[in-house]
Amino acid sequence: MKKNKTMIVTFLAPAVIMFAIIFIYPIIRTVAMSFFKIEGVTDPVSKWEFSGFANYIKLFNTQLFRISMWNIFRIWLLGGIIVMALALLFAVILTSGIRFKSTFRAIIYMPNVVSAVALATMWLQYVFSPKFGLFKSIGDFLHWEWLSKFQWLNPDHLFLALLVAYCFGMVGYHMLIFASGIERISTDYFEAATLDGANKIQQFRYITLPLLKGVLKTNITMWSVSSAGFFLWSQLFSMVVSNTQTITPVVYMYQNIFGAGNSMTERNSGIGAAVGVLLSICVVIIFVVCNKIFKDDDIEF
Amino acid sequence: MAKEKKLREPVNWKKEFHLTPGYIVLALWVLFTFVLIGWVVAASFSTSKEIFSGEVFKFATGLHFENYAKAWSASNVSVFFTNSLVYASISCVLLILVCAPAAYVLSRFTFIGNKIIQSGFVASMGVPATMIVLPLFGLVAGWDVLNVSLANRAVLIFLYVGVNVPYTTIFLLTFFANLSRAYEEAAAIDGCPPMKTFWKIMLPMAQPGIITVTIFNFINVWNEYFMSLIFANSDKVKPVAIGLYGMINSMRYTGDYAGMFASVVIVFLPTFILYIFMSEKIIAGITGGGVKG
Repeated sequence: MKKNKTMIVTFLAPAVIMFAIIFIYPIIRTVAMSFFKIEGVTDPVSKWEFSGFANYIKLFNTQLFRISMWNIFRIWLLGGIIVMALALLFAVILTSGIRFKSTFRAIIYMPNVVSAVALATMWLQYVFSPKFGLFKSIGDFLHWEWLSKFQWLNPDHLFLALLVAYCFGMVGYHMLIFASGIERISTDYFEAATLDGANKIQQFRYITLPLLKGVLKTNITMWSVSSAGFFLWSQLFSMVVSNTQTITPVVYMYQNIFGAGNSMTERNSGIGAAVGVLLSICVVIIFVVCNKIFKDDDIEF
Repeated sequence: MAKEKKLREPVNWKKEFHLTPGYIVLALWVLFTFVLIGWVVAASFSTSKEIFSGEVFKFATGLHFENYAKAWSASNVSVFFTNSLVYASISCVLLILVCAPAAYVLSRFTFIGNKIIQSGFVASMGVPATMIVLPLFGLVAGWDVLNVSLANRAVLIFLYVGVNVPYTTIFLLTFFANLSRAYEEAAAIDGCPPMKTFWKIMLPMAQPGIITVTIFNFINVWNEYFMSLIFANSDKVKPVAIGLYGMINSMRYTGDYAGMFASVVIVFLPTFILYIFMSEKIIAGITGGGVKG
């Protein structure tokens, strides 16, 4: 037994120490920081000035931050609905017994694998381009003038452009999770339903959907986690610093703490920490609510 | 064998007919993806003039490989590319060395704290990067290591490894849990100490899981953006994702679109090629390993 103990300790130590340095210590410190006024990120604790909830109150009184929260909420809700609907549709089609299933699946998932910077650049510089863009060509080809004339990169439409491009990349991942959920449903159910005269749509409504609850919960959680960290797409899509269409909380925090050459507010790292805490609280709330709504199905499959 | 049998199955036209709408939807989506990537690749071989006149696929003036040569040498892509390759490779090796033993111990032994460590790892996968980045930056900037490029590189690798520890450990844990205990028992009877058993017998047996998780780690590190943006202090140490962002910004002013698309392809290619060869493994890893309701 003694031998096992030394083995457990030596084998676990590197991973646990890394985990403590990268996650536990920073999380605790960030929560603490959010209640203090701190001039520089590197300031020692002795220089911190306790300010209670002042950072949070200040954030909610800052219009730009409210806009950024509103933007991320819209991305989460609208993007979530679009992505989940498309992902579920594709997953149902993939599992309906079509040919070339794995090829389709692999191609639809592909955008998740390549660098998002490269992907966002393709959308920004090519698809949305008003001169030679893909959407313009499609519009010209089909004689849909609204599509060929639409100015995607106009500041007023930038949010829509961002949403479309981001959703395109995310569908594949959520599709895989839905598809694996559908594949785990026993075919007996469908056979029995077919014998009883249920059509495909009824089968989907009364068998597939209820049995996908757990999978949907996973998908919503994953979607919320990636929304909370929404940064890269927003940064690439805001070519002007003051663009309020695409700013998200993480970008707001980045610009405040690490931002080069713009002085939106005074330097206060506590505010940055408060942004992080707020985002984490949102994720936790969504997670708890999801667990309540999709209270675990007793249905085993 | 099973696959071959499936292929020979005669085409059931009635069934295929019912599936037509499904085929159309998927085919349109796939077509869009192909055009998107195909156009960018074609654009990277043409000239900025051809891009603007919309004649990318004609290659009227031949294939312009010099776009790549220019992007590679003049725009620092070679530096960013090597950096990313070094960071990703070292991080992947370190991750296995750190996580495989931990995953093994967590899957094999019952001890106080086992469950807590596991839930902690799982929970940390949902923590936004904003939650951890400030204290880490304070720590690193306090030591003043960001101005020494070797130390800066070490910091980046340490971060890449650290953020991926929970995921890698949990992934390998499920893998080890599925390996039979009979091997260790046999090794113990033959007098092999447990630690040696792990390195000589169990670790090699976990090879398929290690390969899958390493592919994921490689892709994650290669594409990592937020942390790199904050912690990579100079052009010398920047990985591709950050380097490309800077390049796109400057190319908007120089107007060298062909060169920009060439750099996009260079950044895009490594994980894309990896995916072409490993897509089945990657997809199986997502649907089997990570997700458990």
